[in-house]
Amino acid sequence: MSKIEEVKAKVEAGKSKLVPGLVQEALDEGSAPGEILQAMVDSMGVVGDKFSSGEIFVPEMLIAAKAMSKGVEVLKPLMAGDGSASLGTCVIGTVAGDLHDIGKNLVSMMIESAGFDMVDLGVDVPADTFVSAVKDNDNVKIVACSGLLTTTMPALKEAVATVKAACPDVKVIVGGAPVTPEYAAEVGADGYAPDAGSAAVKAKELATA
Amino acid sequence: MLTKRQNLMEVIKGGNPDRFVNQYEFMDLIMEAPMDLPLAPAPGTRVKNKWGITFDWPADQIGSFPMHDEEHKALKDITDWKNQVKAPSVFYTDEEWAAAEAHAKSVDRNEKFVTAFCAPGIFEMTHHLMSMEDALMALYEEPEAMKELIGYVVDYELAYAKEVVKHIHPDALFHHDDWGSQISSFISPEMFDEFIVPAYKKVYGFWKANGIELIIHHSDSYAANLVPFMIEMGIDIWQGVMTTNNVPELIKKYGEKITFMGDIDSGRVDFPGWTREKIYADTKKACEECGKLYFIPCLSQGLNISSFPGVYEATSDVIDQLSREMF
Repeated sequence: MSKIEEVKAKVEAGKSKLVPGLVQEALDEGSAPGEILQAMVDSMGVVGDKFSSGEIFVPEMLIAAKAMSKGVEVLKPLMAGDGSASLGTCVIGTVAGDLHDIGKNLVSMMIESAGFDMVDLGVDVPADTFVSAVKDNDNVKIVACSGLLTTTMPALKEAVATVKAACPDVKVIVGGAPVTPEYAAEVGADGYAPDAGSAAVKAKELATA
Repeated sequence: MLTKRQNLMEVIKGGNPDRFVNQYEFMDLIMEAPMDLPLAPAPGTRVKNKWGITFDWPADQIGSFPMHDEEHKALKDITDWKNQVKAPSVFYTDEEWAAAEAHAKSVDRNEKFVTAFCAPGIFEMTHHLMSMEDALMALYEEPEAMKELIGYVVDYELAYAKEVVKHIHPDALFHHDDWGSQISSFISPEMFDEFIVPAYKKVYGFWKANGIELIIHHSDSYAANLVPFMIEMGIDIWQGVMTTNNVPELIKKYGEKITFMGDIDSGRVDFPGWTREKIYADTKKACEECGKLYFIPCLSQGLNISSFPGVYEATSDVIDQLSREMF
């Protein structure tokens, strides 16, 4: 197995203590940083698919993401200023009136693993704050809004409308337990994802369209 | 007409109930029992409980949350849990028990079960202490330390259970522990079997060996993949079962061993603009699809309340109506 293949396998298995060393070995063998990063992104794509299909669960996804982030730490100094490695910036938050953060955090982690720079606004985020974050950060391609409560569905709708009105070029994706594809379409979102793995796929699809 | 308790027993034993069991009607919950609840008491309050976990309830929210920023996280390093986690005392004064004892004595046990209440659950305690992300990763990264921490929480609960049994002699237990999101269990069945099942076999085994006839476990989530373990642990009724579990299928497969209480998702019917028509539609669907045995129609909410005034009572009224229509 080549070193890059080993990196892929160990990221998928969540071996965060082994990945940094393997990444370094892959570099020493002459692999390009971008190539290694892409291998890890691909691994996380597999992890996301397995999560979406119910083959793995939250802990497996968390340790895989941690393993990837440890590998990225090794690559970062070598890739500084290499904008081509990023798919753009994604602003994420749970909408106003809603304090649930676990699902949002998982989505953030998976979108980051797909190759985005993340700006996490946390929970209970007013619609205007999403807009400010788009304006205050470079190259924002995606805004991801999460809502878990039926009672905060109106806030989700307001967040989408406010971002779309102020930043028409930015794509907005929504998700959360009560959100359906129909609801996402009704409120004018560009995309919907039922889980963290699918959210990363959808974000990538919208950012590269 | 059967008493509420008798009717419940007919439902869970596959006998001849004369109506639907109506939500929590068979439980007389002794909420006066002194306990260390995992919540802030009211909107706009923040409390640190006896485990050192801070709960915050912002004024404009419908519930409280444990806080896990660096300042408030109670357990920052699982490998150092023995120094960072200290269980509170389970001993309360006679005066503190008085109201609970009086309530328990007043219950007609032919009519209802005197029901002890326990929350948080063992899994919940781990993530209340250290955050969900840290707790779930620790199951992989520090499994021995997690097993020790879980064992410590179990010992605390066994000691508390002994006090509850001594003071109120409950014949049922209503125990919280959320094990999943709305679409999946948080952890795999294999991991659940390794970490959680042994803990609950001890805890529920103790309660059952000390007068508890009925264990009702609350998890308002998906957990269909964990039902065989629930049976193994000694759970008699899974309360909070959501529609995402395909409850009619679960009843067919496991009904003779465990009863399902729920199938009316609070998130769908309990909101500011709620209507009786919407509650009726969801409840009728649940009752028609799930049938009269091994099923208790109930909101998925983990107590006999609703988030918005009137929803719990309207749901009970609808269930009475459906009993008249279907029995």
